[in-house]
Amino acid sequence: MRAVRFHGRGGQGAKTASRILGTAAFLEGFVAQDSPIYGAERRGAPVAAFTRIDTLPIKQRGAIVHPDLVVVADASLVQDPAARVLEGIDERTAVFVNSPLIAEQFQAKTSLPGRLTTLDLTDIALQQFGKRGAISALLGAVAGRLVGLQRESIREAIARELADLGLAAAVIERNQTTALQCYDAVPAVPLETGSPRPIVPVLLRTPTYEPPTRGTAGITAGPNSAIRSVAGWRTFRPVLRPDLCNGCWLCFANCPEGAIAIKPDGKPAIYYPHCKGCLDCVEVCPTDALTVERETEAAREA
Amino acid sequence: MAWEPHMFKELHQIPREEHVFPGTPLCAGCGGLESLRLASKVLGSHVVYVNAAGCFTNLAAFPFTPLDASWLYTTMGSAPAGAQGVRDALDVLIAKGRLPKEEDLKVVVLGGDGSTYDMALSSTSGAITRKLDFYYFCYDNEAYGNTGVQLSPATPYGARTSTSPCGVQHPAGTTQEKKDIFEIWRAHKPPYMATVSPRFPLDLEEKFARAEEYRGPKLFLAFAACPTGWLFDPAYTPDVARLAVECGLWPLKEAINGTVTHTYIPKRKPVEEYLKLQGRFRHLFEPTRQDEAIRHIQARVDDYWKQVNG
Ligand SMILES: Cc1ncc(C[n+]2csc(CCOP(=O)(O)OP(=O)(O)O)c2C)c(N)n1
Ligand code: SF4
Ligand code: SF4
Ligand code: SF4
Repeated sequence: MRAVRFHGRGGQGAKTASRILGTAAFLEGFVAQDSPIYGAERRGAPVAAFTRIDTLPIKQRGAIVHPDLVVVADASLVQDPAARVLEGIDERTAVFVNSPLIAEQFQAKTSLPGRLTTLDLTDIALQQFGKRGAISALLGAVAGRLVGLQRESIREAIARELADLGLAAAVIERNQTTALQCYDAVPAVPLETGSPRPIVPVLLRTPTYEPPTRGTAGITAGPNSAIRSVAGWRTFRPVLRPDLCNGCWLCFANCPEGAIAIKPDGKPAIYYPHCKGCLDCVEVCPTDALTVERETEAAREA
Repeated sequence: MAWEPHMFKELHQIPREEHVFPGTPLCAGCGGLESLRLASKVLGSHVVYVNAAGCFTNLAAFPFTPLDASWLYTTMGSAPAGAQGVRDALDVLIAKGRLPKEEDLKVVVLGGDGSTYDMALSSTSGAITRKLDFYYFCYDNEAYGNTGVQLSPATPYGARTSTSPCGVQHPAGTTQEKKDIFEIWRAHKPPYMATVSPRFPLDLEEKFARAEEYRGPKLFLAFAACPTGWLFDPAYTPDVARLAVECGLWPLKEAINGTVTHTYIPKRKPVEEYLKLQGRFRHLFEPTRQDEAIRHIQARVDDYWKQVNG
């Protein structure tokens, strides 16, 4: 069995990538299973998806705790404990990260265990499609390469899965071409699945319920969501050039997040830990005082 | 704040203070959140939000809340009934002197279009009939958004949703017309109702301030451009919201004691400009253009405005 776990942010296409991988494996005659998991959260929040590939019927279900391959669509997730990227990774696990850093740099920075490969898929998508957005085909192709699937089945799987999403033929074709370039850019790693890990039997117990007065979660303090940073959601950041700003407040009024505050002098200031990078502010600014920069690891921390 | 006519004439009058804080897990560029944030600037913090299940469930994901107000979570069908309970409790506490009158709270229902147009309609109708003193804030993203963008009675003709895909039989996607919830509410004769768009923030703030004068049921239908469900890049939320109004698809209006006034008369660009920005309408333009469907959408808009102008 090959057990592959994808990590991405809602909207990046981790779920579709896991489907592409599963479909490609199926086309090659394997048994395949894929399933995604989202929390209650929305686009931009951590998402995971699981693909199992085998020659025999697959009896396991649910999350993959001991993956053979982990595919990370957004490098910032590695540091996010809520995303649980590191779970079950040991030195035998193959890991792919979408990052501009080369593998050694990334490994040094994050002390990620596992055998690491990186490629800047976001940059490739930007160059090829001219916009950010789903990188599902690219992720699926890289995963397919790493587990040793064929080019042709990947190409066909991309066509099927993207057509299901209602994408136009021309868009699908561009995805196929770009995805196969990514496929060629990463070397296949012989996966070491090793001896099967013991499965711990799970005992089912009937939970004891608290009465609603005690069992219902309540928050009695004031607005505390602001202590959470959403900086990791950004692919791009808006940057203010104060000299061009006429102080019209359009950006302040239009920011859905409330990430723009008005300073005492009447001019806006962006508070980056609260900015999800939607770029609405850039779109409405009448003087081009707001510009767009590609988010980098260093910028995100600033 | 006490309302005076044209209180909000320029953007600098928008209160700086925030009442819906950042850090929610809602999508980047969510038009619904943008509307709520602007509305809350007038509503203030003396509020109990009664929230029906939907995307706004994610506003307050335990143990975090972005609200400096109270929040009660209800099932999709029962937010107006929940609001009645909260209102009654407040009234009783005030009558018994256990809550000073100055500390009274506004009761605001938050509901998606799925609740508002569909599941909670009977509960809403009951609440309006009982003249419940509350605000109903519906963020209309024209689909059951939180569960994967399924068809709702607010989905407009021609939009593709996950349960109304475009196929051989229905090449245009959704074949139903958007339910006219504004008129359904108006038939109940509430004192105040309005439609708002976050891209017209002054109109929005003005209407919330004006509604404060009225006791009884108050409806706000907020245009909630939804990048995730409508398939456009979040950077275009402002353009989608503006074009909905400029093309005449989302009329900005209010009804005071049943009398409707349009607060903005658009010059009316062709609806195509609005449709083209969104993936949910892409099938109307490629691979083959569906002129009939586009004409149909334009004709509905034209009919609406003909009736408005007399
Ligand atoms: C009675 C009932 N049926 C189904 C659900 C599951 N559910 C949770 S959120 C949601 C979608 C709500 O759609 P809408 O009211 O339009 O709000 P949006 O998600 O678009 O914000 C559904 C169907 C539910 N909570 N209760
Ligand atoms: S990019 Fe979006 S979230 Fe960030 S400041 Fe601009 S409008 Fe606000
Ligand atoms: S929209 Fe542009 S010009 Fe207006 S306040 Fe913001 S940055 Fe300044
Ligand atoms: S799905 Fe749409 S309405 Fe729901 S949070 Fe995301 S952008 Fe907002």
